[in-house]
Amino acid sequence: MSTPAIRIQNLTKDFAVGMRGMKLRAVDDLCLEVGDNEIFGLLGPNGSGKSTTIKIILGLLEASTGTCEIYGRPSKLVDARRSVGFLPEAPYFYRYLTGRELVRYYARICMVPRVEIDAAVDSVIKLVGMTEAANRRVGTYSKGMLQRIGLAQSLVHDPQLVILDEPTAGVDPLGSAAIAEIVRELKRRGKTILLSSHLLAQIEGLCDRVAILHRGKLVREGRVDDLVEEKDAESLVVQGLSAEGRAAVEAEIKAQGGRLARVEKPRLSLDAYFLKEVHEREIEHATQQEGGEES
Amino acid sequence: MKITDSFTRIRLIAGTTFLEAVRQKFFNSLLLISIALVGSSTFFQQFDFGTGELKFITDFGFGALFFFGSILSITATTQLFFNEMENRTALTMLAKPVYKLEFLAGKFLGAHLLLLCFTLVITLVLSGILYWREMALLERLGNELILNGSLIRYGDVFLFGFLQWMKFGILAAFTLFVASFSNTNLYTIVVSFFMLVICQLQYIARDAYTSMEAGWERILVLGLGLIFPNFQLFNIGDQLVFDVEKAPAVSTVLQITGYGAIYVVAFILLAQVNFRRREI
Repeated sequence: MSTPAIRIQNLTKDFAVGMRGMKLRAVDDLCLEVGDNEIFGLLGPNGSGKSTTIKIILGLLEASTGTCEIYGRPSKLVDARRSVGFLPEAPYFYRYLTGRELVRYYARICMVPRVEIDAAVDSVIKLVGMTEAANRRVGTYSKGMLQRIGLAQSLVHDPQLVILDEPTAGVDPLGSAAIAEIVRELKRRGKTILLSSHLLAQIEGLCDRVAILHRGKLVREGRVDDLVEEKDAESLVVQGLSAEGRAAVEAEIKAQGGRLARVEKPRLSLDAYFLKEVHEREIEHATQQEGGEES
Repeated sequence: MKITDSFTRIRLIAGTTFLEAVRQKFFNSLLLISIALVGSSTFFQQFDFGTGELKFITDFGFGALFFFGSILSITATTQLFFNEMENRTALTMLAKPVYKLEFLAGKFLGAHLLLLCFTLVITLVLSGILYWREMALLERLGNELILNGSLIRYGDVFLFGFLQWMKFGILAAFTLFVASFSNTNLYTIVVSFFMLVICQLQYIARDAYTSMEAGWERILVLGLGLIFPNFQLFNIGDQLVFDVEKAPAVSTVLQITGYGAIYVVAFILLAQVNFRRREI
């Protein structure tokens, strides 16, 4: 059995509040394992302990009790972070650097060998789709572009574990879809991804497994399908059925001992609908432009 | 941990810190005000003749260097540190394989590099003004005033600048130490300015120590004298620039430099102790 990417055991984190020694428990006896090459979602409302957990994984905070390991090494060791890339929520970078200079800077901080830096920088900039804007100053970037260049800096030293804190917060659906696609590509390349979010619709189709935190405690953990599917029900999606046909189906279900729980029109999610519409307009626009150029 | 890797990271962090610092309007404004003040020093006095004028310009320039340099040391270091914390660039940086001590050392070196630029520019302007006035005086009064080829030892003007830069370094390191546990800019700036006043007046404690009898009070005064660096040691401008007979030996200058370096290292290490526990 391979070493898990992250192993958290009985992790508790208390923060001192005020002068009287009062304590606020941000994470409460958390036990969690994230397997290698898995997309794992850390979900929960604001203040549920997601960011504190991530900071402990990154060694930025010390746990009050319990342990946290990255690929078998205590996360508080600086060396353990060599295999970790991190994109913080709403990242802010030095505005006067260009995107390329920024990624290069972090590559050097992570001690990527000099001979490999150019290739590594080009590769991650291409991966996040920022090649055209790479030579622009970071100060001119939109929110979505900042997230993508942030992703590039987190990947430039080729980490095995990538931690993304609210990667789609404040990003439009197109940007979110692009980030989701990058995350899938990272998984195809064998990386492990831990991402935290409270935008559940965006996470649902992305994660292999999720953990739900509430007030610092682990509420649920498991595969997304296992958590959300109704185990005692199945749905049939039918097209072109007449009223008589439907009555016959209902009667047959009843005859077979089943019960028709509900009848509803299948729906696309608003996200999917929006992306479909935009995609169609993009194709139309491109076709019109091509036609214009030919004439 | 390879020590060369560590130095590389410190250098990189110092480089971005310096670039951030020189882009600050505050630095540029302060630099321009200081240049204007030193440049116009000759218009601030009613001179009679000879070296009185040069002495005035030198004192004025050294005073401006100390005053504005101290303000810059404290405010720039505070701003650079808290910018990183508030913008959370520190979070991105420290999530990399970077030691907190490397981060603090990089921040300090970036700020110290900024102070070097400031000191160098002010010293250059001061030397230029001194040279201009020296030439005017020699033309008017003849060469009988010249001792050892020049009225002013310009090399020592820069040596004084260097010692002031070391002093600013101690101040910047102390500011970083306060910032490492403080939650606000204002608290850091106020405490650091108090520290500056204490260090300027620290010689009083040393004088008291020599006149005290043995006892716990003497130990207390000695302790205070060791905790707070004595900034008067760095104020040897008159001896350096004008007084040929009392000019301090090179070994004295080196000792003062070493004294400053010890405090810088001590304050950065203390800052690291606090910073390790700080939530980022």
